[in-house]
Parts: sequence; C-alpha cells; structure tokens
Amino acid sequence: MNRALEKRWLGPLLVLALACFLGYARARNQRTQFVRATTGLSNAERSALESVPKLAVANAIWALGSEAAVRKMLRSELDRLPEAEGPARARTFVRFGIIDDNPDGQAAVFFQACVCDPSLCERPSLIAATEREIRARLVEPGRHLPLYLTSGHPPPP
Amino acid sequence: MHSFSWVARYAAAALVGYLLGALALPALAPLPSASSSTPLSRVGFVLREQPLAPSASWSALSADLQSVRSLLGSPEREAFDLVVAVRGLRNAGHTDWALAEQICRGLAWPRCEREPLSQLKALGRP
Repeated sequence: MNRALEKRWLGPLLVLALACFLGYARARNQRTQFVRATTGLSNAERSALESVPKLAVANAIWALGSEAAVRKMLRSELDRLPEAEGPARARTFVRFGIIDDNPDGQAAVFFQACVCDPSLCERPSLIAATEREIRARLVEPGRHLPLYLTSGHPPPP
Repeated sequence: MHSFSWVARYAAAALVGYLLGALALPALAPLPSASSSTPLSRVGFVLREQPLAPSASWSALSADLQSVRSLLGSPEREAFDLVVAVRGLRNAGHTDWALAEQICRGLAWPRCEREPLSQLKALGRP
C-alpha cells in the first residue's frame, strides 16, 4: 500500500518541488534587477546615484513650481550641496539669479555662481548656462534672461 | 484513461509548484540585501536610466520609493510624488497623468495641464 502511494505521489511531489524552485528563482531574479544593477558600485558612483532623487525633485520644482516653492527649494539645495560640488552649487545660484528681480541681487548671486564654478566667470558661458536653466523652467517667473545679463550691470566689488 | 490521470497529476504538480515559487515565496521572503545597494541608489538608478524591467522589479521598487519618500519633507515629498507619477515608477514605467495632475494641483503650482507635465517628463533624466 505504502509503496503504491509512494509510486503514485513521489514523482508529482518532486515535480512540484522542482517547479517551485524554478518559479522562485525566476521571480527572485526579476525582483532583484534593480538591486543587481546597483550592487558593486564604487562609493563615488553610489553617492552620485543617491543624489539623483533629490536632484529630480529640485528639477521638477524648478520646471513647474511656484516662485515660493522654487526659493524654498534653492535654499534647501544650497544647504544640502557640499562646497565640493561646485558646478551643482553654481547651477543653484544661477537659478536664484534668474528668479531674483533685483539687478543688485542678481549680480551678487551670479558672482557666487562664478566662485563655485570658475567656468561661469566668463560672461558668454554664464549667459549660456543661464539660458539652459531658462529653457528648463516652464512657468513664470524665470523664463527671461535677467536684467543683469542683458544690460551689462557692473560686477560686484 | 489511466495515463491521462498520470499526466494530469504531474501537470498539476508543476503548475502549483511554479505558482507557489513565483508568487507566494517572493511575497514572504524579503529582498536580499546587497551592501552597496540602497533604496536611494536604486531609485536614483531607475530615475537616471529609465530601464526596461519586468513587473516584478517595479513591484519590488515600491518599498524603495516609500523609503526615499520618508526622507523628504513637504513640499519636496509631494514634488517627489509628482516625479514618481510622471516617470511612472509605480506603474511599470508608464506615466500616470491623472495622478500627476492631481498632485500638481495639490501643490498649487501655476500650470498643471498635460502639456507642461509632458514637457517635465521630456526635460530629461537628472
């Protein structure tokens, strides 16, 4: 009787276990695709990836946010970004310069952008960087070149 | 008739086993931890690469999204929700326009129609 039962159920049980293992292995492989893609990265690569979500949020606020939301985001970005991330801080200052409606204020923040990223100290490259940010801004204010860059306001002392 | 029942028994065992392994076990077992992979880096990877992935990968990402969301204060949290909706991170990479518009209106931003949201999506990866 036992032998008959074994003969009848052992095979299907083995098939069940094997299929269970195959199903689990396949599902696990699919579930871990993003884990595998981000495993074994260097510290710098991981750090760069980890900054992407906050950068995406900052870019979304810059693209569509109200002026108040943009100002808050820019202050928070300047708090978050270390001095070592000069180009990213410079971009934040450029964005500040774009939404600032006072030419003196614009001069001060564009000067800060130049300090953070010396490649922006030349006027044409500063204008090019500003125009890039203006293209990424989809709502007013901030869709026009600031007065400081159009009128040739003297640089701050 | 006897051989039919024999085949049916094996086929049923294979089917049940596969479903058990593919659906039940992964739901009970946590994702394996990898030392250098973090929720922030996985969400960053998906935002930057916009990869093609099976639905199981997207499902597993939802815990990471929740984890990243919990790190943010308002209104960055809501802006993150907007990015997630526009990039379709909770929807296997497909944009949820209705949700995006709803979140945008909740933020009281100046323009929340489909066109600026599409432009936001097209602006490029961070």
